[in-house]
Parts: sequence; structure tokens; C-alpha cells
Amino acid sequence: MQATEIPLSLYIHIPWCIRKCPYCDFNSHQKRSALPEIRYVDALIADLKKQAGAVTGRSIDSVYIGGGTPSLFSAHSIERLLDAVARETALAQDAEITIEANPGTFDQQNFAGFRSAGVNRISIGVQSFDDVLLRALGRIHDASTAKQAVLAAKQAHFENINIDVMYALPGQTLKQARQDIEQAITLAPSHISYYQLTLEPHTHFYRHPPTLPGDELGWAIQQQGADLLTRHGWKQYEVSAYAKDQFICTHNLNYWQFGDYLGIGAGAHQKISFDTNSVWRSEKPKNPLQYMEQVLNEPTAGPTHHPLSQDELVFEFLLNALRMKAGFTRQLFERNTGLSFTWLVTKLQALVQEGLVVQLDDGLHCSETGYRYLDDLLMRLLPEVPETPPSPVA
Amino acid sequence: MERIRNFSIIAHIDHGKSTLADRFIQHCGGLSEREMSEQVLDSMDLERERGITIKAQSVSLQYQAGDGQKYELNFIDTPGHVDFSYEVSRSLAACEGALLIVDACQGVEAQSVANCHTAMALGLEIIPVLNKIDLPSADPDRVVSEIEDVIGIDASQPLLVSAKTGQGVEEVLEAIVHRFPAPTGMESGPLKALVIDSWFDSYVGVISLVRVMQGTIKPRQKITAMSSGQRYQVEKLGIFTPKRTNTEGLESGQVGFVVCGIKDVSAAKIGDTFTSSSNPADRPLEGFKEVQPNVFAGVFPINSNDYEPFRSALEKLRLNDSAFTYEPETSDALGFGFRCGFLGMLHMEIVQERLEREYSLDLITTAPTVVYEVHTTDGETRYIHNPSALPAANEIREVREPVIQASILVPHKYVGNVITLCMERRGTQKSLHYHGNQVSLVFELPLSEVALDFFDKLKSVSRGYASFDYESSHFAAAPLAKLDILINGERVDALSAVVHRNQAETYGRELAEKMREIIPRQMYDVAIQAAIGSKIIARTTAKALRKNVTAKCYGGDVTRKKKLLEKQKAGKKRMKQIGKVEIPQEAFLAALHLEK
Repeated sequence: MQATEIPLSLYIHIPWCIRKCPYCDFNSHQKRSALPEIRYVDALIADLKKQAGAVTGRSIDSVYIGGGTPSLFSAHSIERLLDAVARETALAQDAEITIEANPGTFDQQNFAGFRSAGVNRISIGVQSFDDVLLRALGRIHDASTAKQAVLAAKQAHFENINIDVMYALPGQTLKQARQDIEQAITLAPSHISYYQLTLEPHTHFYRHPPTLPGDELGWAIQQQGADLLTRHGWKQYEVSAYAKDQFICTHNLNYWQFGDYLGIGAGAHQKISFDTNSVWRSEKPKNPLQYMEQVLNEPTAGPTHHPLSQDELVFEFLLNALRMKAGFTRQLFERNTGLSFTWLVTKLQALVQEGLVVQLDDGLHCSETGYRYLDDLLMRLLPEVPETPPSPVA
Repeated sequence: MERIRNFSIIAHIDHGKSTLADRFIQHCGGLSEREMSEQVLDSMDLERERGITIKAQSVSLQYQAGDGQKYELNFIDTPGHVDFSYEVSRSLAACEGALLIVDACQGVEAQSVANCHTAMALGLEIIPVLNKIDLPSADPDRVVSEIEDVIGIDASQPLLVSAKTGQGVEEVLEAIVHRFPAPTGMESGPLKALVIDSWFDSYVGVISLVRVMQGTIKPRQKITAMSSGQRYQVEKLGIFTPKRTNTEGLESGQVGFVVCGIKDVSAAKIGDTFTSSSNPADRPLEGFKEVQPNVFAGVFPINSNDYEPFRSALEKLRLNDSAFTYEPETSDALGFGFRCGFLGMLHMEIVQERLEREYSLDLITTAPTVVYEVHTTDGETRYIHNPSALPAANEIREVREPVIQASILVPHKYVGNVITLCMERRGTQKSLHYHGNQVSLVFELPLSEVALDFFDKLKSVSRGYASFDYESSHFAAAPLAKLDILINGERVDALSAVVHRNQAETYGRELAEKMREIIPRQMYDVAIQAAIGSKIIARTTAKALRKNVTAKCYGGDVTRKKKLLEKQKAGKKRMKQIGKVEIPQEAFLAALHLEK
């Protein structure tokens, strides 16, 4: 495997929110006082400098500033950050650069500032256009602010706009769900993430579950949404991702195609392949203060690295790549795992025979059934033997 | 021999038998304070936890009586549950007297009545003892008249005791000396020793608790087990003080232990007679019978690698429990395991719990069944322990099921409920007698209707006041058929059951419905059918889940997603795969939880 052939992305994590949402299991922390914005950006830049050596000569095709709520940061901070990225790495000319924004924290000025700092894609966490449901989700914005945020992004000359819309919300009816998706369509973003609310461990909702629509209604809502989106020109390319024309999200696509990614910021994960047929994962400290301390003041401290076994590698590839509606190609599998596609096909024979996976001459994808029951399918692919704990490498 | 008293205690669970026994031991100095752990006699953990005595044990105590004489008091503890009534009768046969302990607040329970009747039939003297007399709710007058009414013995001079505080214990010891007769039996005749119980000890092999009825037994003596004719040489013998203490012989009238090179408890059966090989008795003691398990269930290791450890655990268990049987069984659904026979449901639970606890095995048990006597069209008689082995309908001339005679004692206000319950369970009323406030009922009931949950149901329809005892009666022909459960058209052998034709439809529908609730919704529709022969009598469908896919999988942290999948998968591991369908273990016991 030639590591340099594998696409590379950069993820930047901003770990603060005005308020933690009850369904969110990402590494985010409620903002309690003034944010250490300058110091945190310093830390991100220091972190990036440390990591850059591992990817020398490799072009970065996408940058994603996620959170948390990155739009809490000033345009100036984002500019300083992106300047550093351009300086320290081989950032591609046409790289996709996304920032996540919360409708509750936007101001017109900031959006324009992000745009001129080099951000060319904005992802707005709308979730719903129904005030009652937004409150049930613990969001700090209402429907009209959400609409304004999308319009503001357009006025700030964002051509590539994603909005997140959630369904199967507490007490949601089929009709309410249709109204949400219709409103999203009216706003005409280039990309819509339409995903089901699920109760994740370690969240408030997990401990205090709200009453959610059942399996049947959830399915009806999903089909209704998929129909409407498809009819209006958004094409589904992943379980929850719908894009107009060429506006597929490069950054997420890279995860799903098992590309490499650098991750900087508190709790950020990264996955890097080296020339020697080895793939390593690592994770930064989750606590923002601890993260800054480590990056800025402990020059020798680094993240813990885990080498991936072949079983893990294959499983993680499939975990991601089978989420793609079109599946994956022989070439992608061989390039990103260094393993033989023929071997993989043998391994998946039972699933092909059961009609869960469709085998093409030059690739694989889930059948319609397989796509619906992807978790069942993946469970069968989980490596059987429990992994031996990896030894930490400094 | 005049200064030996052999006695037993008849008591219902919780009426205070073990506590009183502890007081005796304490009073006679059988153990030091330090050795005196709570309730010494129930030595198995499980017995202590459940408060039930499973194995009979004994203790020989030296009592300095008020008349200045020293007496040897042999207390023989008896098992206290309906599953073990034969064992109880053999313990009683070793005694001349029995203390009937009745809770002075709660009154008489059916099990005590049954045991008292056994004791009276064996000619034992019975002394009523009212325990828990210190409690404010004690009502000795009512309980005395209940004893006289229900059991029919003279209770005009009851002993009033509080085993907890020690009040009245001395009086009981005096009564044992003065009101129970001394043993009789020729000291010179050929040896007859009654085997009260046997258990396996990993150091010395089988230890038998015996009562010498005639003659004497000495170390190195050659003895014969009369039921088998097998000969053994006595290695050790002695008494329990309650510590096992070797002596130079046991004489007529004494109770003690014998170790004689037996390796397997099934060679020293309860109720058997040991005699002298050189000077044998011409006939054994009366009352011996081979104990037969009544209830059978398939027991399978969840993990097929556990098969060998499971087999060796069963072997070890059997060393100590000859009432328990096992033979290999193969199930399409559950793989390799054993069909195990038990005396009753309690016995089954105890064995299962011991296997899981003492041998750390994860087991799956099928719904228990009774033994059916099948007369085939070609004139054969077969005994069927496993519903899936029932011959095809056209090969059967007649199926007979075991019937028991149940004695139930219940306050009159619940008698209607109890009769209704017994009728629902296909019972035939044999008698009904009023004794003051209490009613004693005798019913014949099919064992299959009793084996599973009858006792619990009885308790619930009588607010806990009814008590129950039973003995096997006979086999009776009944319109019985094999009911199969089909999952997606595949018969699951471990779910087959033998049912009464009149109940088949309801049972089939309820079982199918229960299965639908238990089987988790999965990728495919799961058709669940109940069938008799080729006729489908009930069907239902566990609808497929519409989907099972994680909505959002962004970001680089795949380990979190993987962990969730691993957790889900671990849950499935404990299920059994039937075709494409995953069936949780509890499904195999679903029949136990049907509302009858």
C-alpha cells in the first residue's frame, strides 16, 4: 500500500456549546464562562504542527471544523486557524472547508467572516422547523431563527450549504415530519442530512428516554422523507446524506471510504496509514483544558496510538464503506486496506448468497434489504476473537 | 437400649425446626459456642438459603435428664418438601417418636398433616409442640384445637416453646425422654440396619446414615445391601455428635453412620436394609421402594464447549443424589445435552442452581414434562420422558398419564377457589372434610397439571393459606396429543409438549403468542405456528423490524460504533439460532409462564 495514494482530510474539533443537547453524544462541553478562544486556537495550531510530520507530502483534500459549536468562535480565530493549516500542510487548492454552525449562535457578520477566511461550506444544525419539537430536543433556536440562518449563509455567499434535519422526534407525527422536510426543501440547500434521532449511551435522553415514534412510524417518516428529497433533486448517497448535483460532502465521503484523517482538538480521533502496511489510530484528550495543557506545555506528550489488526482494518472499512449507497469499488478497497478484493469477496460469500450484499465485477454494495438492516449485517462481520489490548506506543 | 430415644421433627418450613434443633445441640453440649454456627444441620449452602432441608441428617446427643439418668437422644432430621415424601417416610421409620412443631401463630399446614399421618401409620408417638409462643399473635388454644381437629391426635398437653428465646426447651427434652418409648428389637438377632440416607464424601466415599433395627454392626464386618445382594466390608462407623465420631459398634436401637467402600449413592439406597453377610436376615425391612423421578427436562449447555464439563458435573452431582437421573439427549434446536429426571419442580430447581453455581455452567432447560405411558398399536408399552419422542398418532393406541393423589388443607373461606383450581386442572374430587375452620380435600390430579405451577397457584387462590401434599397414584388414559411449535415452518423439538386435546388449542395459541413476545423482532418476519400432527392449530407472526441501521455515523470515532455493535452481538450470542431466527433462552421455558 502506498500511503500517499490514500486521500487525507483534516478534522478540527471545537468542543464548546451554549448548551448541551440531550441527545448529543459528541465531545462537547457547556460554555460556562468566557471561552479560552485564543489559547485554544494556539493549541490547535501547535497540535497541527506536531502532526504534520506524519503526513509530509500528502495533500489535504478537505477540512472540517466541527464541534461542539464552532460558530461560537470569531471569524478572526477561524482565519488564524485556516492560515496555519495552509502554512503547515499541503492544503489542496480546491479543498472543501466546512464549518458547523448552530442557528442559535449565528450572526450575519460572522458568516461573512468565515467565508472570507476561506470556509466554503457551512453545515447548519437546524434539526427541525417545529418550535415545539425544537424545544423537546433542547435546542436554543426556534424555526424562524433557523430559516434566517440559512438565508444568512446564502447572503454570505455560501454556495455549499448543508442543513441537518432530524426525524422520529419525541411525539412527531408523519405530517409534522413532512412539514419539516418540505421547509428544508423550500430553503434549497445544496445538501441535506436527514437522520433519525437515536438514543445514544451517555446522553440525557438515554437516561431519561422520551417517547419516540415506533418502528413502523419511523419507517414511514423515513420513506416519506427519502421520496420527497429524491423527487426534488437531492440524491441519497449514504444512509442519511442527500446531495444536489456535485455537492456530495468530500469530508464525510472520505470517512465513509476509509480514507485517512488527521484530527486536532480535544477528543479528536485520527487515522493514518503508513507505508509499511500499518494503520494507526489515535485520540486526543477529551477534556479541553487537559488538551490545551498537553499540547502547549508538554512537548514530549503525545496521543496514544493503536495499530489496527487486519481484522479490525477490514471491519472498519466495511463499517464505513457499506454505508455508501453505491458501495465501493475493488480499487478503493485495495488501495485503502492493502488487501485483496478477491479475498474479501470470498469472506462475504454468505451475505451475497443471502441477498444482503450485491457483488459486481468491480465492486460491492448492499442490496436494498442489506441496506435496511446494515447493523445486523455488520454484526455478522464483527471480528470473532476479542482483540488483545494494543500496546501503547509513545 | 432403654436409655435411647430416636425421634424426628415434623414441621412446616419456617415453623422453627432448625432453630429448635440448634437449641437441643446447645443444651446437650454437642458443640462449643464457637462451633455453633446458625442452624448446624442444614449444611448445604442452598439448604440454608432456601430454609429447606434436602438431605436427612442426624445428631446423637447425651442428655442428663431430670431423673438423674443419662440418655442418648438421636434426632433424625427430615427433608421438608412435598418432592421428598418417600425420604421423609424412611426417616420416620427409623424413629419411635416425632415432635410435631406447629407455629403457634400460623397453625397447621398440610405437609405436616401428611407427615403426621405417615408417622402414625408407622406407629410413632407424636408430641405436639407449639413454637413461637413468645410472639404476641400466638394463639395456642386455636392451634391446639386445630391439631386435634385436623390431625386427629390428642393435643391436650402441648409443649409451649420459643426456640428463639430458649423458653420451654428443657421441657421438650424431658418429654422426649418420658413420653417417647425406647427402641425395641433383638440385640442378638441377625443384623437389620435401615438406610435412612446416603451421601458422597470425597474423602471416604459413600456415607450411609442407618438405624440399627436388630443385631449389631461392627467395624470390618461383612455386610450385604439386601436390595442388590451386593457385599461390602464396614470400614468405619460411628455417630454424629453432630461431628462425625467413630465408635466401635452400633447396637440395636442406635442411629449412626456406616462407611463400607461404596462408591456410588445408588448402591446404598434410601430404605434399603444392610444385613450381615455371614448371618443374613431372612427378609429385609418393610417399606423399601426404588425412587423414580417424576419430572423430566432437557438440560443443555449454552456453550457447546461446556458439554464435557457439564457431563462430569452431572456425574458428581449424581454421586450425592440418587433420585436424580440423566441420559444423553440430542436436540436439533439445542444441540447436545442431557434429559434429566427430578422428583419434582423444587428438586429440579435445586439441581439446576447447583450446576450453575457450583460448576459455573450456563445452562438452558426445556419446559419440564412428566413420564407418559404409551401403548402402541403393535402392543408395546413405552415410557416417554420427552414429548418430541412421542410416537406418531397412528402408532398410538392409548396414552396414559401419571395421576397423583393430592391432599390439600385450606381454611373454609377459600375452599371454593381451591376446588375451582383443581377442576381446571382436570382434578377429580375424592373427599372433603370439615375440621372446624379448616377443610381437608383429597383430589386426584394429573401430575402434569401439578408439576409446573400448581403450588404457586394454590397459594395465590388461598392467599397463602392452603397447604398441599401428594403421592403418586396410578397411570390413567387421557386424550393426549403432542403439540409442536414451528418457527418459519421448522419444528423446534425442544418446544414440543404433550397436551390434553381439550386444552390444545388454547395452549397452542397462548404458547405461540408468548413466543411472539419473546422472540425479538429481526430482519425477517418470523412465522410461529402450533401444530398437532400436520394440523396447524394456531399461528402468529413476529413482524420484521422495518430496519436496523445506525442513522448517523460521522466523525472519526469508529470505535464507539463498533462497541455498540459488539454489545448488540453479545446479546445475540446467548440466543439459539433456528434457521435464520434467533431465539432467546427464555423462549424454551415459555410454557412455564403461560397463564393456565
